[in-house]
Amino acid sequence: MTINRNSGRYLFLVCLLLSIFAPRIASATEPYEVIANPSVAEKTLSKTSLRAIFGMRLHTWSDGTAIRVFVMADDAPLHAAFSKEKLNVFPYQLRSAWDRLVFSGTGQAPDTVASPEEMLARVAGTPGAIGYLTKSKTDGRVNVLQIK
Amino acid sequence: MSTLFWGGGANAQKLPMPQNLPQNLQIHGFASQSWLKSSDNNVFGKSSSDSGSFDFRELGLNASMRPLTNLQFSVQGLSRWAGKGSTGNIRLDYGFVDYTYYTGENGQLGIRLGRMKNPLGFYNDTRDVPFTRPSILLPQSIYFDRTRKLAIAADGMHLYGEYRSDLGDISFQGGVVRPLVRGTEAEAAVFGRLFSGHLTPEISYVSRVNYELDGGRIRFAVSATQLNMGFSPGTGDVLKDGSVRFTPLVFSAQYNAERWSLTAEYALRHLEYKNFGPALPNMDFTGESYYFQGAYRITPEWEGIVRYDVLYTDGSDPHGTKWAAARAGRQAYNRFAKDITVGLRWSITPEFMLRAEYHRVNGTGWLSTLDNPVSSDLAQHWNLFSILGSYRF
Repeated sequence: MTINRNSGRYLFLVCLLLSIFAPRIASATEPYEVIANPSVAEKTLSKTSLRAIFGMRLHTWSDGTAIRVFVMADDAPLHAAFSKEKLNVFPYQLRSAWDRLVFSGTGQAPDTVASPEEMLARVAGTPGAIGYLTKSKTDGRVNVLQIK
Repeated sequence: MSTLFWGGGANAQKLPMPQNLPQNLQIHGFASQSWLKSSDNNVFGKSSSDSGSFDFRELGLNASMRPLTNLQFSVQGLSRWAGKGSTGNIRLDYGFVDYTYYTGENGQLGIRLGRMKNPLGFYNDTRDVPFTRPSILLPQSIYFDRTRKLAIAADGMHLYGEYRSDLGDISFQGGVVRPLVRGTEAEAAVFGRLFSGHLTPEISYVSRVNYELDGGRIRFAVSATQLNMGFSPGTGDVLKDGSVRFTPLVFSAQYNAERWSLTAEYALRHLEYKNFGPALPNMDFTGESYYFQGAYRITPEWEGIVRYDVLYTDGSDPHGTKWAAARAGRQAYNRFAKDITVGLRWSITPEFMLRAEYHRVNGTGWLSTLDNPVSSDLAQHWNLFSILGSYRF
């Protein structure tokens, strides 16, 4: 009896913990990487630079070539995970920052892709491209960038 | 400009990345339609009539292109209907060339030439784009719709720069410009009525410094502007060739969490009228405005906002008592407005949005004199309800 009651409590606690952390676990289930076209010389990027690139405020790589930014839709779980974990911002903040640039003429919006397959194809096929992708979908056609 | 565009295309194989040239062209736009219904007083058309007013529409189309990594061309056309002040004329909202002189991992420095949006507070740069506003009507104490033409954009030169570090990003934008003073809206905003003469632009200055911590979790901005205008009297005008100087100073702060955002702005608006002759004695006063706003995202698609917005036309006479005492038949509540707003946004798709909001206002300080020509018809306490549908691409 006591064992059953204890295990019942234990199960209840586990469920409670799961319900609290479920969204975080769900967004982190699939590991992902920041990927770049092989033409990009950089192998590592600082968080500040990564933020400036995805904020559409840093336009060139260190060798002077153009940066091309690819993202998934605002409501894509991978976009939300990448924004929060790598950039430390929320998707709505990125969208407002891009809107401020686009509708005042002081910048441009990133290119939005519809699927992981398109992300891989566009980053692999566009010189200077940067994006993000789940590890399982990534192959040798793109480089993985380390974020310091 | 066209030589650069088309010349570049013709010599495509000589450029480092010719295949990117057409892809660098971006085209975006928006269209919105609102309906407004007020208990008294008109906002954007005859909103106090039984059927309300549909006379608030905004259409915009823009294009931008980066032929080189450090060069961008941007242009936006806008058509806006908003009561008697804006009647849908298509006009150039902005059009400029942007050259980045220096760019590096930690920042950038550049110059813009042409017609640019004036950097003023958090919202002025994109004030006509419903998706960038927190509500259908921006807080009117600072983003006066009746003086928007003066505040919105100007022709000239801007310098801009940005410095990024672990302690946050600091950016600035400043320039020397010629304000856009043509049209009845600007004249009515400056004089409260129309004359046969016209306003003339004088050299003016705009500037804003922004500080963003942790990718924009905390944002601060200070904007300082000095707009200078002259007046060229027409036949029969009682005014002489005087001058107007408008010097707004705006402090802005915002905190962004996952579900909620808090925003506050405070403005001191110094206004001087000089040398218009006996019909308009010299004036020198400072208006005061502020608002607090909370937004809560119930889901990414649904957002609710609450705001308290206060305008004092003259900070030294906040409730207009001295002003009214000196003018027979004019009411003190013409000189202030306190607006409590609640609103709701529903993003049905990323491209299509619906909004609804309710305003409870005490005072008539920011109402347009074009939509409310008879000041004795104004009511001190009034309500406004509005809905808006907007599409973007």
